[in-house]
Amino acid sequence: MSTEAEATLPTSDHTGHGTGTSYLDASSGLRNWLITLDHKRIGIMYLISVLLAFAAGGIFALLVRIELLSPGRTIMGAATYNQVFTLHGAIMVFLFIIPSVPAALGNFFLPIMLGAKDVAFPRLNLLSFYIYVVGAVMALASMVIGSVDTGWTFYTPYSSNSVVGSQNAVIWMTGAVFTLGFSSILTGVNFIATVHKMRAPGQTWRRLPLFIWAAYATSVIQVLATPVLAITLALLLMERAFGLGIFDPRIGGDPVLFQHFFWFYSHPAVYIMILPGMGVVSEIIATFSKREIFGYMFVAMSSVGLALVGFLVWGHHMFVSGQSEYATMVFSALTFLVAIPSGVKIFNWLGTLYGGAISLESPMLYGLAFIVLFSIGGLTGLFHATLSTGIFLHDTYFVVAHFHYVMVGGTVFAFFGGLHYWWPKMTGKMYEEGLAKWGFALFFIGFNMTFLTQFVLGSRGMPRRYYDYLPQFTGLHQFSSTGAFIIGIGILLIFVNLTRSLISGKKAPRNPWRSAGYEWMTPTPPPLENFKEVPVITRGPYDYHLATEAELSEN
Amino acid sequence: MNPQGTFQLPPALSEYAPRVDELYYFIFWISVVAFVAICVALVLFVWKFRERKGGPTKGAQSGDHHALELFWTFTPLILLTVLFHWGFKDYVAAAVAPDDAIQIRVRARQWAWEYEYPNGMITPGELTIPMGRPVKLVMSSDDVLHSYFVPEFRIKKDVVPGMYSSLWFQAIMQPRRYDAQVYCAEYCGARGDTGGHSAMLSTIHVVTGSEYEEFLREGPSRPTDLQTDTQWGELLVTQNNCLSCHHTDAATTLPAPSFAGIFGRHQSLEGGGEVTVDENYIRESMLTPQAKIVRTYTAIQMPPFHFSDHQVDAIIAYLKTIH
Ligand code: HEC
Ligand SMILES: [Cu+2]
Ligand SMILES: [Cu+2]
Repeated sequence: MSTEAEATLPTSDHTGHGTGTSYLDASSGLRNWLITLDHKRIGIMYLISVLLAFAAGGIFALLVRIELLSPGRTIMGAATYNQVFTLHGAIMVFLFIIPSVPAALGNFFLPIMLGAKDVAFPRLNLLSFYIYVVGAVMALASMVIGSVDTGWTFYTPYSSNSVVGSQNAVIWMTGAVFTLGFSSILTGVNFIATVHKMRAPGQTWRRLPLFIWAAYATSVIQVLATPVLAITLALLLMERAFGLGIFDPRIGGDPVLFQHFFWFYSHPAVYIMILPGMGVVSEIIATFSKREIFGYMFVAMSSVGLALVGFLVWGHHMFVSGQSEYATMVFSALTFLVAIPSGVKIFNWLGTLYGGAISLESPMLYGLAFIVLFSIGGLTGLFHATLSTGIFLHDTYFVVAHFHYVMVGGTVFAFFGGLHYWWPKMTGKMYEEGLAKWGFALFFIGFNMTFLTQFVLGSRGMPRRYYDYLPQFTGLHQFSSTGAFIIGIGILLIFVNLTRSLISGKKAPRNPWRSAGYEWMTPTPPPLENFKEVPVITRGPYDYHLATEAELSEN
Repeated sequence: MNPQGTFQLPPALSEYAPRVDELYYFIFWISVVAFVAICVALVLFVWKFRERKGGPTKGAQSGDHHALELFWTFTPLILLTVLFHWGFKDYVAAAVAPDDAIQIRVRARQWAWEYEYPNGMITPGELTIPMGRPVKLVMSSDDVLHSYFVPEFRIKKDVVPGMYSSLWFQAIMQPRRYDAQVYCAEYCGARGDTGGHSAMLSTIHVVTGSEYEEFLREGPSRPTDLQTDTQWGELLVTQNNCLSCHHTDAATTLPAPSFAGIFGRHQSLEGGGEVTVDENYIRESMLTPQAKIVRTYTAIQMPPFHFSDHQVDAIIAYLKTIH
């Protein structure tokens, strides 16, 4: 930290060619990418991987929806169907959603937003990417070997002595998730250290972008919760491999214990999945309202609050499992607390819109969609937290719809919003705005068709994970499947648009959205070391009134 | 009380169901109001504060709004407390069965339900209970997790191997008998092409008090909407998921012998010997399947089915028709 610039953010010169060459041009060749320590390139490699996982998980989702077009057999048998929905869930959760925002977008932007040259431990960062790859390959291996049919929750004793598929497939898949956990932990540790130690001069905690606050809270959960998953899966593997009686009652185990362990990780994991998305939405809303986030400190603290409360509510997945009535009561009460920080975020985003100078480019559409869809996800959570209705709706399509509103309507919409928002900065190319809006519209409409319908299916009594169903549910299932195809077309359009921009897109300016965010102050695409000289931060990331005209101009 | 059901909810057929529905609709309308408020605010603000040509290019400064922040942080707590309390009250009511409840033992296994009545009678696949009387189910599982779910009664409970769990309900009074649908709500796998978890269904027949007394004396009888024993036999075979192991085409002989052409077939047995499949053999195969094992079929065991004589007759009649 020797050469400090003037007390302002450095901006690029108007030719766009700064002193540092862009990270994309710094070196070439596949080898240089694969052994890179640059957080931006690692972010891009994650991005490609999670998008591939998303495509695979999406294809499995469509297979599920095709099978459910009619009662009885449509295209596959029950055992195959069970494997397909398991793969859909496991891939989407462990290979896509969990790493999507933090590992792909976070890796790229966290150091830049902090004004740092890289993450604190670049080698560890590359390692965690390769651990992710090993995990993904193991998951693929489980598919080749015979596939898992346990659902992504691996409930015992079914998973410890399942006969369908292959004995070894379960071992491979749990091994894969075990491995992916380490990738998650290492990224978490890295981010925490980076946020603590690598902030540019002048970047106080009160000047942290909300995306960083969210990533920080997420990392804390990753580091604290993921080891519990690792322990659980290790115990499960030992039970399967050596016959230790831990979860299987036939050999002296307790199946409900597994559920406690599993949800002790997997409920906080819900916040690993949603918090980074909320961070992205805060960035988008501020930029496209040209205004400071309303109640900044409340929004930041609500992320931390969610991270904390998230650890205390795992038992709400077990209201009917046979856990004690007292536990059930306490978990119901604590679960309601989740509504508070979630509500705080929604209200403050609305407060930010009020008094803004709002423009509706495609990233903003995703941001606004997030508010709408996440509200539905949150409000339908009330039905589940309330004991009597929660027990009625548990394990029906209602809960399937609820968590898709949170995970897809929330996280995935935020991820695509972030992708469109930061795409120009990452790739140096502009995509076509009209096509982006079409992709968004199809995704949004299809999504609501698919999952609003599933609320009704669930409240009418349709249980989840059903290969077959009674004739009275046919119409709703067909409508839901139709929506799924529309989502498919929308996503395809988005992929086509983004890919095309790489080939024939216009060159992106430094700051296409005229944002005051720190990451837009550096040239597009960013130089290898992120900034030409170490930036000194003199204002918050949303202080539009303090940002200079030069900073807010496109070039 | 809504025995017909609504667009969102199935018919409410237990005394407890309307309580759940009332709370369901309470939350529903609160959610609708909150959701509409959020959407209206969103659209309104986006419209009113859209960036205009020649208008301001930056938004207004925010400043601090601690009072407002604290207001919307803490007021929702009031509503949340109400919801918690209401849900909990109903939950407690549903948790404790009255002392005079009729006790039924429920046994679950992949993929069938079996019921045992206080007099020791066992009926696989369907449960008959009297209307207007509390009924308590004491449930256990032979293999993996299952969950007993009756949407029309608004109740659900996991059935866990290695422990008992229980559930109670009181079916409403109606002028004549009616049925409620039972689902397994905890994923429990499948084999091959057959439904498995999704076929682990069952029916609760809710009958009048005198019909129930008669049922306890006489055992299950053919449903009135079926004309022949053959039809009843077919129903029993589907209800009890025999087809998760046996197939009705001659070609599929795994994991259990095909039902096609079974009657009169010569079958060689484990440990030597041969039988011709007749009424007695089929009867024995269902009631005590381990007595004679068909040669090579040792990988999985057929569980015993406690059918009444009349049910056995019906199944035999049905099996005779499969060629
Ligand atoms: C878990 C799988 C399974 C289920 C469910 C099952 N069976 Fe079987 N069944 C078998 C097996 C295995 C055999 C052969 C071994 C034996 O004889 O016990 C068999 C044998 C039989 C036989 C003798 C067949 C022969 O060719 O000799 C009859 C009859 C039969 N089952 C009827 C039924 C009926 C009726 C049901 C449903 C109420 C049923 N089974 C449910 C597995 C099953
Ligand atoms: Cu949870
Ligand atoms: Cu089941």
